[in-house]
Amino acid sequence: MRPLTELFSKLVEKIRGVEYIDEQTLQEISRELQRSLLKADVPLDMVRAFTDTAVRRIREERPPPGIPVKDFVIYVIYQELVKLLGGEAEPDLKLPKRPYVIMLLGVEGSGKTTTAAKIALFYIKRGLKVGVVETDTIRPAAYDQLKQLAERVGARFYGERDGNDAVGIARRGLEQMKGVDLVLVDTAGRHKNEQSLLEEVKAIYDAIKPDEVMLVVDATVGRQAAAQAEAFMKYVPIHSVAITKMDSTARGGGALAAVAKTGARVKFIGVGEGVDEIEPFSPRKFVARVLGMGDLETLVERV
Amino acid sequence: MFERLRRTFSKFVDSIVSTVKEDALGEREVSELAEDLYLDLVESDVAVDVADALISALKAKLVGAKVPRFGDREAAVRRAVYDALLSLVGDVQDADFESAVIEAAEQARPVVVMFLGPNGYGKTTTLAKIAYLFKSRGLQSVLAAADTFRAGAREQLEEHGKRLGLRVIGGKYGSDPASVAYDAVQHARSKGIPLVLIDTAGRMHTDKNLMDELAKIQRVVEPHFSVFVFDAQLGNEALEIARYYSKHVSIDGMVATKVDSYPKGGSILTFLYTFKKPIYFLGVGQRYEDLVKFKKEEYIAQLIGLQPGGR
Ligand SMILES: Nc1nc2c(ncn2[C@@H]2O[C@H](COP(=O)(O)OP(=O)(O)OP(=O)(O)O)[C@@H](O)[C@H]2O)c(=O)[nH]1
Ligand SMILES: Nc1nc2c(ncn2[C@@H]2O[C@H](COP(=O)(O)OP(=O)(O)OP(=O)(O)O)[C@@H](O)[C@H]2O)c(=O)[nH]1
Ligand SMILES: [Mg+2]
Ligand SMILES: [Mg+2]
Repeated sequence: MRPLTELFSKLVEKIRGVEYIDEQTLQEISRELQRSLLKADVPLDMVRAFTDTAVRRIREERPPPGIPVKDFVIYVIYQELVKLLGGEAEPDLKLPKRPYVIMLLGVEGSGKTTTAAKIALFYIKRGLKVGVVETDTIRPAAYDQLKQLAERVGARFYGERDGNDAVGIARRGLEQMKGVDLVLVDTAGRHKNEQSLLEEVKAIYDAIKPDEVMLVVDATVGRQAAAQAEAFMKYVPIHSVAITKMDSTARGGGALAAVAKTGARVKFIGVGEGVDEIEPFSPRKFVARVLGMGDLETLVERV
Repeated sequence: MFERLRRTFSKFVDSIVSTVKEDALGEREVSELAEDLYLDLVESDVAVDVADALISALKAKLVGAKVPRFGDREAAVRRAVYDALLSLVGDVQDADFESAVIEAAEQARPVVVMFLGPNGYGKTTTLAKIAYLFKSRGLQSVLAAADTFRAGAREQLEEHGKRLGLRVIGGKYGSDPASVAYDAVQHARSKGIPLVLIDTAGRMHTDKNLMDELAKIQRVVEPHFSVFVFDAQLGNEALEIARYYSKHVSIDGMVATKVDSYPKGGSILTFLYTFKKPIYFLGVGQRYEDLVKFKKEEYIAQLIGLQPGGR
């Protein structure tokens, strides 16, 4: 996230440094915003819409009494960024029923199996009983990977080492999870051109009717995230999203924005390989960090 | 493949051809049209800084360039765009990895190939594909499970070894990857096996300790080829990854994976431009056969819609 933070905090400094905001400064700000967002992999149409709205608001709206124009400009940028990444609402982490079943899906190598273990640990730490089911019969040793992770975090595990019937494994797995509060069903990686694999994931979905389908997206692929989400949505509903590998130079912004555009909500972000390196996603906190401003919260309250 | 990037370039060629009235291209019109191209390139996942460099190279080639008033103006413009692209990545020589390894195996045994790159991009799968390729050419490999970190990494490689009928040398989880790699080389040497393929743990370029660990493996086993594996779906992150990796480790060539998911293709340009190393193969699926040779000039010609080498 560092380079993005650098770009934006430079911009913020620059805005604070100018005497007053005239049309030329505004154009400059707009251009720099565009470039920063493009570098963060935000899709072009969203970048355009973002800068148009931000510039229009700065031009037309009056800052509330007592708020300097410069602070108001920063506030508008903050607000629009939060909107770009999905809005003010915090993710809902409550589990409305027991057992609650989450199925994870996503393209190859995006981080599904690791994320299943991370979410398991997240809820185990909150006192729940959690189980994980491995339905990946394609990647060699997917079974061992999740089994080892389950042992590490203290989750119950079900899988079939040499199985080849993903739907059957999912069904039998759920039967084994009596008394568990949360079940995470891991699936094999697949992408938008692997038709038969996409049909398989739909068959698993139909067989187990999960309460939540979570798409797992690699932050480093940037704006490709939208295409991935849309491709999966043709087969199954997507209720939530986990974005992984945010410990890259990430950017991440692009993946986050692209996901927001599809209407799906980002629930968790992965920030490292360790099983405890996961955080609930809050657009407000994220943007505050990206803008590199400790005093942003107070500014937001003042406006 | 890379439809999106190809459309981007052909749109640019078309708009230049249809706007230009004179027999030489003027600064203003090229700049205006290049601005659109720039945005299209970025949208096709070419990193912003690389798109900048490409636009400068294009301007240098196009401004003032003579285009025939009649006849095939399009071909002339297309050629200029091709030259600009090539000038950007031109000093990267294509390498025939297969022949290079077979040749090296005549000099030194074993030939050591190490796979490295960020998490989950396809190192282990690519290693297995390459083991399969050489096996079908009559060269056996020892596989070194030097990813002693990620859960199930060793079992994953062992499963590939079982399917391919190849020996896997591993160590306990948490043990020193450099010593696993070293053991595999010793094993191959004592058994007269021509190839050692070393699998390493995925690591984020931002993690300095892990990058140092990778450098250590390179110091200990001195691989003949260090192959960087990247996911073709990457966007701007590609540039950061390339910058950090080239600071810490040495890289001889690359493999782009998951090309079958129809990435836009910009990351290939970014990596060629920043690493200045050949791309050996593209990964186009999850099966052992899903590996195709990459040729830079063909790739560029395809983007521009030219026959490679032709006019
Ligand atoms: N640095 C970092 N690495 C991560 C993160 N999440 C997952 N990984 C790594 O990414 C790689 C792929 O993760 P997996 O969980 O195996 O991905 P997957 O989606 O299950 O892969 P397939 O089952 O093959 O489709 C592994 O090396 C993980 O350790 C993260 O947040 N940060
Ligand atoms: N569709 C497709 N999938 C691929 C390709 N290459 C690798 N994969 C898949 O991507 C996922 C990750 O591949 P791995 O080989 O485990 O990746 P890795 O880089 O070794 O991962 P870590 O060791 O965790 O860092 C697996 O599900 C592979 O089957 C490819 O070219 N096309
Ligand atoms: Mg998995
Ligand atoms: Mg691996």
